[in-house]
Amino acid sequence: MKASRRQFLQSGSAALIGLSIKGDRAIAGSFVNDSFQLGHQLRDRAQFPAPKQVEKRSVVIVGGGIAGLSAAWRLHKKGFTDFVLLEMNDQLGGNSRWGENEITSYPWAAHYVPVPGPKAIYVRELFEELGVLKDGRWEERYLCFSPQERLFLYGRWQDGIEPAVGLTAADRDQFRRLEDHIHTFRATSKFTVPMEVGFSDSTADLDRISFAEWLRARGMNSRILNWYLNYCCRDDYGASMSKTSAWAGIQYFASREPEEKGPLTWPEGNGWIVRRLMERIGHFVQPNRVVHKISQTNKGTSVFSGDTEYRADFVIFAAPTFLGPYVIEDMAPLRDFDYSPWLTANITLEHLPASYGTDPTWDSVFMDSPTLGYVDATHQSLRTHIDRTVWTFYWALAEGSPAQNRQLLLDKDWNYWKEAILHDLERVHADIRQCVSRIDIMRMGHAMARPNVGAIFSAERRTLTKPYGRILFANSDLSGFSIFEEAQYRGVTAADFVAGRLAGHRTSS
Amino acid sequence: MQPLSTNLGILLFITVSLIAACGLIYELIAGTLASYLLGDSVLQFSTIIGCYLFAMGIGSALSRYIDRGLAYRFVWIELLLGVIGGCSSALLFLAFAYTQGFQLLMYSLVVVIGILVGLEIPLLMRLVRGRYHFRDVVAHVLTFDYLGALGASLLFPILLVPYLGLVRSAMLFGVINVLVALWSTFLFASQISAVRALRSLCVVVLCLLAVGLAEAKRITATAEDNIYADEIIFSRDTRYQHIVLTRFKDDIRLFLSSHLQFSSRDEYRYHEALIHPGLSAIPAPRHVLVLGGGDGLAVREILKYPQIESVTLVDLDPEMTKLFSTNPMLTALNQKSFLSPKVHIINADAFPWVDSNTDSFDFIVIDFPDPTNYSLGKLYTTAFYKAVARHLSTQGLMVVQSTSPMFARDSYWCIAETLKQAGLQTYPYHVYVPSFGEWGFVIAGHRDFQLPASMPAGLRFVSVNGLPAMFQFPPDMSPIPMPPNRLNDQVLVRAYDQDWKDISH
Repeated sequence: MKASRRQFLQSGSAALIGLSIKGDRAIAGSFVNDSFQLGHQLRDRAQFPAPKQVEKRSVVIVGGGIAGLSAAWRLHKKGFTDFVLLEMNDQLGGNSRWGENEITSYPWAAHYVPVPGPKAIYVRELFEELGVLKDGRWEERYLCFSPQERLFLYGRWQDGIEPAVGLTAADRDQFRRLEDHIHTFRATSKFTVPMEVGFSDSTADLDRISFAEWLRARGMNSRILNWYLNYCCRDDYGASMSKTSAWAGIQYFASREPEEKGPLTWPEGNGWIVRRLMERIGHFVQPNRVVHKISQTNKGTSVFSGDTEYRADFVIFAAPTFLGPYVIEDMAPLRDFDYSPWLTANITLEHLPASYGTDPTWDSVFMDSPTLGYVDATHQSLRTHIDRTVWTFYWALAEGSPAQNRQLLLDKDWNYWKEAILHDLERVHADIRQCVSRIDIMRMGHAMARPNVGAIFSAERRTLTKPYGRILFANSDLSGFSIFEEAQYRGVTAADFVAGRLAGHRTSS
Repeated sequence: MQPLSTNLGILLFITVSLIAACGLIYELIAGTLASYLLGDSVLQFSTIIGCYLFAMGIGSALSRYIDRGLAYRFVWIELLLGVIGGCSSALLFLAFAYTQGFQLLMYSLVVVIGILVGLEIPLLMRLVRGRYHFRDVVAHVLTFDYLGALGASLLFPILLVPYLGLVRSAMLFGVINVLVALWSTFLFASQISAVRALRSLCVVVLCLLAVGLAEAKRITATAEDNIYADEIIFSRDTRYQHIVLTRFKDDIRLFLSSHLQFSSRDEYRYHEALIHPGLSAIPAPRHVLVLGGGDGLAVREILKYPQIESVTLVDLDPEMTKLFSTNPMLTALNQKSFLSPKVHIINADAFPWVDSNTDSFDFIVIDFPDPTNYSLGKLYTTAFYKAVARHLSTQGLMVVQSTSPMFARDSYWCIAETLKQAGLQTYPYHVYVPSFGEWGFVIAGHRDFQLPASMPAGLRFVSVNGLPAMFQFPPDMSPIPMPPNRLNDQVLVRAYDQDWKDISH
């Protein structure tokens, strides 16, 4: 009673002298885009209805992420119209899905594409078609605006994510040595995007040890350097550098040499690309279609979805490859494919925290945080004045085993994750709770392929990049890791293969 | 006859000095405010003192009609004075900013306060009449009355204005009036019937004024007075920026988020130079677009061309364009340019507006604040200039406010290079504006620009003969190679920051 009376007096007298006590906002939100229920039905071999109708197509594309959409884009460009793309969710895009509220559109996962190098010919072709690349110049509005990235360390913000303040001579020396190594690797042209272009057996040794071991063997023990490299592994692969193959760690740095200050990004992230692709090939796409069985003979394939059996000459299986054994008849279980669980959140802010710290920046990272930081969805807005915004918060659950973390994602409720996210933000923005009005959270048990030690040179992976009878695997995980360019490459090359076979078939008949 | 203890007597007469001080303070505040805001302090003080004294006479005359409940009415007068006088300064500031009726309100307030003050002393004298000889009452009351006036007139310039500011000084003396009211309910308790109710009312009014005193900072931040050399006559945080107007004698200055935008003494130099070299060079200008320029001063210059049919002004902040459409002092400065039927004001963020609008214009004026941060920097990029250039008619030209080629030489030539990289021909020029120093502009277009052969009559600074010199850059401001400012690599914001750092060190 006493406390409440005091509270009353405090708030009463505060109101009287016009000092409003800054209260925390009520924060709304929920889990969104859950799709594990559908996946678990496949895993548990649930009963699906028997087909009532048969449809014939030259090609069925399974999965409407970037790989599947790119396969459709490619087939369409080659003049094919006799194909269908089946997507299990109601929204297309996979990891490039996006959301929208009254403030802005925002990404749910993949939110940028590094400025593609000359070897990424299909990405460049797509971007020329979409007006992102014009007469050899990248469209300014799609390049990430200044300032791009910032890192919070030692109680202050610095420009860029690579730590640059407070380095000792030893730290600097190690950063320099790593740069030299990367330079040498880059010069070999064996680390490329897409990876298949430069892939060489001569780099196989690097896939036998972890990135952490590789660094240790070269005396690179700087805490700052190791934090940074571990961050890069978590960010691109969802795995710590002690689990990541050294080959993948090196690939991250050696495969790129940007010709323009990037990356390419849009308010809805790579959802922008999905939208543009859907404008072109949307009429071949059927959402909410779970494929529960695929069988094949040497004459053709059958794809079962709902009460329909699609009979097709070829199947492009662009869904995550780990689903293959649960769907494709007689396919052996996979051993070398591992996936990182992720959590993303879209956080609506009514205003920026007073503790924001710098000019509004695209990507903000906190040193020594288990999370990956947040990206501002209104950063690519042309407006000069922005008060409300949406931050996309990224968290790869990289510590511990993926299976345990998947269980954690399922077990804990929205409130648990909301608090965990706010606690992380409060490390830097003490007043964050006064700014946030909504937190929507997306849980992804198998967000991205994880390039564990041995995964890149795995015979299983390399076999699946080749035709599996009349089924072409096309997900980015065939490259060992999930990035836009790999997904697009796999989709396009699968489409090219199928198109070639169909055309050959046509001319020979 | 009720004997009164000496102590109580002294307190009574201190009350007299206090109320006298309050009355004088309100009068001084009105006079000072009017001088600040309207200028001509002789006229303001004379008319205000005259009105005030006359109103006091009315009050004294009216006092004879009060014959019952003297003490009760005295308390009420003190309360009213506390509220009206205490809020007078804040009300006047707000009226100046948001209405056109500043003077009407000011004289009304002076008259009302004068009448109330005029009532005070006669009533008080009659209240204590029974306690002293009439001779003593007159002597004592008038002595303390004049003593209070002396105190107030010394306190006002030495302590109150410098340390409290006008708004809080008024509030403080409002509080004193109300304390006198409260104290009077004890002093004359026997002569007041509903004494408890009256006391409660006093306490409530006291609390309200105390809140006002604490909150007055929002109305004019006195701390801020120290930042600006001159008296602040308007200060407001809008959703987009912090608008401050200062005045020193006849010089009005506008600051947006602490950056000087113009000084009324020499702004004609800036605005004539911004508009006429470009606009006079267009054969038949009909439609003009102004981006920024919410003070209406550029529009004033544009309206000197009778053949112009429409001026579209896009400015982010509605409070800014409203202020410069309504405030008499500011509309005198921009010659009511915003009230012209040719002028269309659009309150929007410039880049998205330019991107979505499809109209074409013969002359486009880009007059934004300097690129002090990455948000403003977007309005100085190749992407922005490309988007703006799509609105140029075949004869069209644009002109860009481009910072100082002297103090921010890198920035100036970076802006020129950015316009060039946006595919435009550029014609840089500069002028001297005393309050800014050497200032630069760039004319740009898809076509050649030739110096105009004639200009509107009556210009004070720019002339046809003087033009060629404006396009000459002496060695200390001559071009330096700079990269263009792009959305993904805003070199300009960093250059601008560095340029000004170099000067201040």
